[in-house]
This record gives sequence, C-alpha cells and structure tokens, in this order.
Amino acid sequence: MAQVDKRNRANGINRRDFLRWSGLTGGSLFLVACAAPAAPAAQPAGGESAAPAAAPSAEQTTISWWNQFSSATTQEVFPVVVGQFEELYPDVKVEFEISGGPPGGGDYIEVLLARIAAGNPPDTITLWTPPSQFGAQGALVAIDDFMANAKWAKPDAFFEGPLKSCQWNGSTYGLPASAGAGSIFVNADKFAEAGISAARADFPTTWAGLQELSAQFTKWEGGDLKQAGIVPWAAGWLKPVWSALNGGQLFDADANTYAVDSPQNAEWLGEWVTWLDAEYEGDVEKLNFYGTWGSAYADGAFQLGLSAMTLDGSWACTDAEIPFAWEVMPFPVGPSGSQSVTGFWPNWWAMPKGTPHPDEGFLFSEFLCTEGWITWYQSVMDTPAWKAFPEGVLTKKLVDTVGEERAQEIHNFYAAQLEHTAAMWNSPIEDFASDTLDAAIDEVLHKTKSPAEALAEVQASVEAKLQERLAG
Amino acid sequence: MGQTVTARSYKPFLSKRLRENLKGYLFILPWLIALLVFNAYPILASLYFALTDYNVLSPPVWSGLNNFQAMFTTDPLFWKAVWNTIYYSLLSVPLQLLFALLLALLLNGRSWGIGIFRTLYYLPGLMPAVATALLWYVLLDPRLGLINSGLTALGLPRLGWMRSADWSKPALILIAVWSGSGVPMLIFLAGLRDIPKTLLEAATIDGATAWKRFWYVVLPLLSPTIFFNLLIGIISSFQVFTVAFIASEASGSGNNVGPLNSMLMYMIHLYRNAFRYYQMGYASALALLMLIVLLLLALLLARSSSLWVHYEAGERA
Repeated sequence: MAQVDKRNRANGINRRDFLRWSGLTGGSLFLVACAAPAAPAAQPAGGESAAPAAAPSAEQTTISWWNQFSSATTQEVFPVVVGQFEELYPDVKVEFEISGGPPGGGDYIEVLLARIAAGNPPDTITLWTPPSQFGAQGALVAIDDFMANAKWAKPDAFFEGPLKSCQWNGSTYGLPASAGAGSIFVNADKFAEAGISAARADFPTTWAGLQELSAQFTKWEGGDLKQAGIVPWAAGWLKPVWSALNGGQLFDADANTYAVDSPQNAEWLGEWVTWLDAEYEGDVEKLNFYGTWGSAYADGAFQLGLSAMTLDGSWACTDAEIPFAWEVMPFPVGPSGSQSVTGFWPNWWAMPKGTPHPDEGFLFSEFLCTEGWITWYQSVMDTPAWKAFPEGVLTKKLVDTVGEERAQEIHNFYAAQLEHTAAMWNSPIEDFASDTLDAAIDEVLHKTKSPAEALAEVQASVEAKLQERLAG
Repeated sequence: MGQTVTARSYKPFLSKRLRENLKGYLFILPWLIALLVFNAYPILASLYFALTDYNVLSPPVWSGLNNFQAMFTTDPLFWKAVWNTIYYSLLSVPLQLLFALLLALLLNGRSWGIGIFRTLYYLPGLMPAVATALLWYVLLDPRLGLINSGLTALGLPRLGWMRSADWSKPALILIAVWSGSGVPMLIFLAGLRDIPKTLLEAATIDGATAWKRFWYVVLPLLSPTIFFNLLIGIISSFQVFTVAFIASEASGSGNNVGPLNSMLMYMIHLYRNAFRYYQMGYASALALLMLIVLLLLALLLARSSSLWVHYEAGERA
C-alpha cells in the first residue's frame, strides 16, 4: 500500500488530486462562463461594412437587430446599409448577423417570442409576419409617438396599404420597408409566337378578358396538358387582391370584423370554378400534376415554358432571373369590381415590447425603411413602401438586363400600382384566417363544397377566432 | 484506550453503502437536473397549460376544459388530423413490420456478403428525415419522377402522389416503409438469432415444411419481438411530423398541408397551433390528448399480449 502511495507521489499526482484539480478547474471555468459579459458583437457575415467604423464615443449605445435574411445578396448589402446608419449616427452601434435566424440558432419567431416573454428582447426586428398580428398580441411597441417626431418616417410618408398592415386598433406597431407589389408576369416570347400583343395597353382589363386570353394559350394533347394560360388561384398570398378586384374584402380592420362570406367573394370563387371547368377539364389535381403555377422562379411552370402567364411580386423581376422576354401587367377587374388593385408583401421593421433602447431602435427601423432602403433597392427590386423614395434610383440588375429606360418604366409601374392596394396583412389573426381560407378555396376547387358553403364556414370560424382574440 | 477513542472518532458519519449511493447520485446529478428542468418541468407545465388560454406573451388564464371542448366541437381541422393520422398508422405500422420481418428472414442466412446487405437495408433508417422527404419528393414527382416513369413503363397510369388528396397519404406510407423498416429489421434479426436451432431441427425431423416451421415455431417465438416493434411502431407513427411537413411544403399546396389537407397529421396540427397561431394552451391540450390516447393504446396492447405473445420459458407477458 505504502509503495502504491509512493508511486503516486512520485508521479506527482494521484487519482484524488486529479479529481480535485479537475473539479476546481471545471468549477472555475463554469464560474468564469457565468460571469462573462454578453456575447461579443456579431460580425456581419457578408464581410466588412462599406462605411468606416466610427470611433466609439463615450456614450455609444449598442443595439441589436434580428432578422431572417440569409441570401448572399442580403449578406452583401445589409452590412453596407448598417454601415451607412452607423456613419449617420456614430453614437449607435448595431449588432447583427445575417444567418437566417436569431443569434444562436433556433426558429426565429419561437426564440423571439420567448425573449419578449422573458423580458430580454432585441432592440429592433425584421418581420415577415405582419406587425398587426404581433401588435394585437402585445408583442410590439406602438411607435406612433416616434413617428410623429420622425425625420423621414412620418405617418403620411408611406403608401397607405403597406402602413395599414402595421396598424391595429388605432396604433402603429411597425414600419414597412418594402412593399413588393404583385403583378401578372407574361412570357412575351410566347405572346409573340401566338401573334398576341404583349403591350400593357392591350392587356385585358376584366376577368372575362383574361380568361379568354388564357384559353388561347392552353393546349391539351391526348389528355395531357401541354401548356396553360394562367392559373389565377396559384399564388395564395394574393387572395385579398382577387377579393378586392371583385369589390369584396376579407377583413375590415376599421370595423374589426371579417367579411369573407360576402356575395362578391362567393362570385369570385364561382368564377374560378368556371375557369377551372372551361380551361382545365374541371380537375384541379390533374392541373397540379404538371407543376407549380404561381411563381416566376426557375422551378415554376412559367420558366419551364408550361404556362404563358403567372403571378408574382416585383422582386421576381430581378430575383427570378427570367431567361426570356417578359412583361408585367396589372390585375384585371372582376364582374362586381370597379378598379384594378394590387397586393404587396413587405419586409416589416418593428420594435419588440421591452426593448431596452426604443429611441435608437426606432432610428434604425426608420433608416432601414426609408433612406437605407435605397441601397437595398439597387440590388433587389423590392418596391419601397416609402413614398418619398428618390426619383431615378433603379435596381442595377434590372438596368443591366433590360436597359435604363425600361427599368425606369417597370419601376414606375410598380410605384403606381401601390397607390391602389387591397387591404391585406391587417388582421390580428392573419395566419389562422389565411390558412382557413386557403383550405376552403382548395375544397371549392376540389368541388367538395360550393363557394357559398365554404365561405360561410370560413366566416364562422375566423369570426369566432377573432372574437376570442379580441376578448383575450 | 486512547487509540480506541481516536479510532471511533474517525468513524464516518455516513455508512459506506450510503456514501456509495450518494456518490452515484452525485454522478447522475447533472443528468437528473437536466431531466427535471428540460423534460419533467415542460411536461408538467404543459399539463397545466392544457387547461388555460396561453399565447406565450401573456400569463396563462385558467379556462378549464374549454380547449378540449373546442377540439371536439369547433376546430375545423381536428378530426381531419385525427383521421389522417389513424389512416397513416393503420397502414404504415403493419406494412413496416411485415417488410422488416421479410427482410430479416431473408438476411438471417450465412451466405457471403450478407453483412453488406444488412447494412444496405439498415441505411435508409439513418438518413435525416428532411433529406428523406426531399429525396422522395423528387422520386414521386408526378411528371418527371422515377416512380411514375416505372409505372408508365409497366403500362400503369401515372399517379399524383403528393399533389393528390387520394395518393398523398399512401406516398407518406411508402416513405415510412422505406425509411422505417431498418431498425425493426435489426431487432427481428436479433429475435431470429435467439430461436433455438433444436426446435427447428425437431420440427424438420417431424416433417414440418418450411411454412409450418415458420408459422408454428418461428412466429410464436418471435412474438415478444413483434410486440416490442409493434408498440414502438404505433408510438412513432402517431408522432409522424417531419416527412409530412417537408413533403407538404414542397408539394406547393400553399398553406394547406397537402391537397385538401390530406397530409395534415396530428403533430403538424399541434405544431401549427403552437408555433403559427401561438395558441400554446390549445396545443398543450392536443398534446395531452395524444399522451392519453397513446397510453391507452399501449395498455391495450400490453393486455392483449397475453393472448398472442409467447415466451420461450412458457411465461406470458
């Protein structure tokens, strides 16, 4: 035994010493980790900011910005925009990362809500879900007072529709940076082949006209669909637009009530069923067999040459890299409608409830949604929601592809479209209502329910959910 | 005397056995803390949330059985999700077990390269669910997919698979059989190895055909393994999520989970209520119901096992 002890001592450390020191080292490391300050500033993934880093002043405030961006373009451009902001406001430093989710990973909204509930939210956030919904849940700061004293983001500085998507119950809970407007994309080459004008002035202004045009392109051979004209129900996010085109509405934010089961909406869905019967053999599943119809991107039927027209947002003008001649058209009007409108899909900026630096957070949100968006728009054609957006700023990629004059014309088209938008993204139960209506439309197109029957069920369901939310 | 007193004063306060136990508990303490904080607490909390109206941001408000009432009466998709899940479970579990058993019987020999085949058939089970879903989404593409090309070559009609309300669930079942048979196959193989050769030899000497040896000797002795695989299969099938979720996202059904919500499984419905509509109380109630149903099914299966599960030593489950 004694020999063993000696051997251990000769080796300089025995088992107990080893465990003791391991424990002490581990414990120390644990304590150090616990006492460590907050994680260092996240570095922009896309490289260094273009603007020179301002020397930190004695009173520099560091704010955190969370977003869901991840693409190569966002990694390249947003650090530049943040650099511009920091140059403008040298006493504010922005911590952020462009990694597709919250710092540290996890589902963006889940982590965000958990942080808001725990009282340690980031200072400013980018949302792809409308602020109206989160504002109604009490997750966001109302910014009306900030806007009243804002340099750029005054209440009347934005297109009405996109700003309304940030409002609920008289308060504004965020700012729209972009309002990528929806439109009909047409394959100009196919139009030329068919001897049909692809000029915007010649495009149909009514649903009946559009259906007639679509039918001219739709070709069946031996029971196989070789080419489709347009599939109007294929872009689910444009539901409020189709409703408004027919003089209807889905949610009335002013009256806090749903109007899904209106006669105009029943007529709208009835028109789609007629369209399905006339052009696509009345079988929505057979139609879906052939591809994805509501996208101008590479994997959609439009780029694959399977359809002559499709529906998408302004961003597709540059992002989708359409390999043939194309044109964008306004939406035609339904039988009970009176004017063409469009839809929009913004990037929203907001400040979570409990934000530690609301003043600086608003400055950043304001900059990104106004002046800062100029830099972004030059990279991606994500139509700005800011009405004072300077003339002559165009998306470089579009200019390179179609020339400056046509790029300016397309820009003007989308900007004009935003003057007349459908009311959308404005409900406190936006996702639930949208899912419920999508399911109903699917049932109508599968002919398991009539439009009136399906819409009545949706109305009952969403109105009950809305009342629940309003009561809560 | 003095020495005796000194010796007594060194007597440890705790007995040797207690000290050893204490050390054991100290060693498992980190795991125990994690279990309590990250498993036990959320489970207990969700039991409470099931009886409340809770949206994460505001404190939960007691609502009694309202969530359960809404589930059975006003939720338009609850019964759809229940039906989809039952359909999937009723077909996928027996097919998985049957396929796994067939593979195990084929791979139970000693021929050359058998290890390679065992590995190959086990491999799909190791594939991440997202990759599995995307792989099968491409294979099952109605227009260009390999499966429909094969059907066409055989003179059969092409199917809509994930773009069809009728064929989307069979597509999910096909994926489940492909990816979920590896593990039960290995367990069946282990079970087959445990069957005493003497019994099979005795049956052969008595003139039993291969089918009779399988039916009267192999299958009864394999019944404990079948019982285990069945129980695990049922629990897993009720929790199907990733493949259905990814496949429906890829199928272009918009916010529907497949055409006519035909791939809306119970867990997806639960997930959407929790993390899309932020109805944590309702989602907790859905989870609690699932727990109760699975417990009842497990109990039912355990009770029924006395009728069909045979143990070599003559004991019954």
